[in-house]
Amino acid sequence: MQEHDHPSDGGVSRRGLFAGAAAGALALTGEPAAAQRCPAPPRAKGPLVWLDLDQQELDDAYDQSVYAFNAKNIAERQAANNELALSAIGKPERVAYGPTEIEKVDIYRTKRPNAPTLIFIHGGAWQNGRSANFAVYAEPFVKAGANFVAVDFNSVRETNGDLFPLVDQCRRAVAWVHRNAASFDGNPDALYLCSRSSGSHLAGCVVVTEWAKLGVPLDVLKGAVLGSGMYDLKPVRMSKRSAYVKFTDDMEQQLSAQRHIDKINTPLVLVHGTLETPEFQRQSRDFAASLRAAGKPVQLLVAKGYNHYEVGETIGHPYAVLGRAAMEMMKLNFG
Amino acid sequence: MTDSVLSADVERKAAPGPRPKGPLVWRDMDQQELDAAYDQSKYAANQAQVQERRLVASARARAVLGEPLRLAYGAGAIEQLDVYRTTRANAPVNVFIHGGAWRNGRSADFAYLAETFVRAGAHSVILDFTNIDAAGGNLMTMAKQVRSAVAWVYKNAASFGGDPSRLHVSGHSSGGHLAGTVVAADWRKDFGLPGDVVKGALLCSGMYDLEPVRLSHRSNYVKFTDEIEQELSALRHLDRIACPLIVGYGTCETPEFQRQARDFAAAVAAAGKPVQLLVGEGYNHFEMLETLGNPYGLLGRAALAQMGIPSV
Repeated sequence: MQEHDHPSDGGVSRRGLFAGAAAGALALTGEPAAAQRCPAPPRAKGPLVWLDLDQQELDDAYDQSVYAFNAKNIAERQAANNELALSAIGKPERVAYGPTEIEKVDIYRTKRPNAPTLIFIHGGAWQNGRSANFAVYAEPFVKAGANFVAVDFNSVRETNGDLFPLVDQCRRAVAWVHRNAASFDGNPDALYLCSRSSGSHLAGCVVVTEWAKLGVPLDVLKGAVLGSGMYDLKPVRMSKRSAYVKFTDDMEQQLSAQRHIDKINTPLVLVHGTLETPEFQRQSRDFAASLRAAGKPVQLLVAKGYNHYEVGETIGHPYAVLGRAAMEMMKLNFG
Repeated sequence: MTDSVLSADVERKAAPGPRPKGPLVWRDMDQQELDAAYDQSKYAANQAQVQERRLVASARARAVLGEPLRLAYGAGAIEQLDVYRTTRANAPVNVFIHGGAWRNGRSADFAYLAETFVRAGAHSVILDFTNIDAAGGNLMTMAKQVRSAVAWVYKNAASFGGDPSRLHVSGHSSGGHLAGTVVAADWRKDFGLPGDVVKGALLCSGMYDLEPVRLSHRSNYVKFTDEIEQELSALRHLDRIACPLIVGYGTCETPEFQRQARDFAAAVAAAGKPVQLLVGEGYNHFEMLETLGNPYGLLGRAALAQMGIPSV
């Protein structure tokens, strides 16, 4: 492992000062999720627009930066960790699953023949993220005997605010992996799904796909671990995310997984952290409750002391919440 | 990966106004800056949250691995250690020394570090030892305990299936300081043991020169003496270091905890001894330790590699 350059003392002091200031603000409140919030001046509450939230509270509840003060630091360490993982497992094969430039998957192959495969759908508010950033999630699975396939797909900025193309791409990617698993020595009958954040919204849409139309079996996905997602788009549509997602009634209805529970043929594990926004906690809770009420197999895991991004980091950790759940779901021997 | 980039302005607004700088007491720091540089709460905003997840993860690890063997390495009630056993015979051993500003921490609450070692084929030994308040402010008492614990493990490893010739030590924070005093121990003189009892060590976010610590507010509860400062500053006993070292820190740590690691690693390297400096980009003091509990984390990966048992 290489020795990294260290920042100048000036940079260090500045960072420290900010953190110190944030610590001071944290002392003002005892509620865990609120304790993560960046300081804001007091203000009068407006009319309720969704449950007990006024417009600003709803907007905040769909803005991770309001609740995860260390988002930038986590992005830094994810980039550094991704480089370490890449040097450990090597670059993936990049293969097209569809006709357009972005429609490609990164395949990290394990050594085991006819191995199970974990398909990963990244987050980033539907706007950011590329498959190349996730070698850090791939390594534990590759070493435990599973292939890892990271899906690239369009940003909503490239689709004029339309979420349908993103969902369609993720669905076609899964069908492609099923048809082509043998090409990378994967077992087509042992496909699993993992995702976080807006990627879990897309994954929610993937597990309610009418697979017959794509010519693959109904139970093409043997299990899915969905971290920190959105499964009902109504409150999202009412939030400031409407500024860049062009929601329609049809989109809200078709792409809210919670409204298509009858189509689910995949056991689900849903995860959220106790330091996530109120809405990102509620979305997982309510989706789990609906699934349970419909008699569908579901497990809800609550990660104590984790914010939105910290939950995501655990995909690359075989003994923390998402990584362990995926390892157990795939019955991998992780050590 | 970020849904939205954190604006530095959000935090800057809450920063206190400018304060006249006092006389310098250590390098370019006045007393308040030095005190802050030895106070993690001033730099790690999520200290309580990281502790919460450590306790949850440790309870889960004990449930998954089973309760450890609890063995006494000394006569005092606290002088005991937890052994999480691997299934491999004659396996290497990692001894972990926890942190907590020398004041806090119990072995059971660090069980989450064991799974990395146990599943990779090493025994994980987590020490209990007294705290500085119970020791009347005497740091020597704590150093003697952890050194004697390591000597005990060396002599008794075979009793739990461990290989005494593959004994490694790790420590974090004030436990990183104590682990530094372990690798800088005079094993022959004090214990009648060979000088290479410890085959490798990982020192994370520790202190290796006590002079600035003595100048800080930590003097309120540590009764520093010239002898303690001299004997328990690993930086001043480089000649006794007989094993490869990994020294780690995070870029979100206090300026002094970053400097201590950098300066110690540089001095060890200048003395011609093997040392690897690992810098955790974007990690604070407490988050750094979490990476030891992940075989693919920055420290977990390095610790296993040093022990020659990389995860798969």
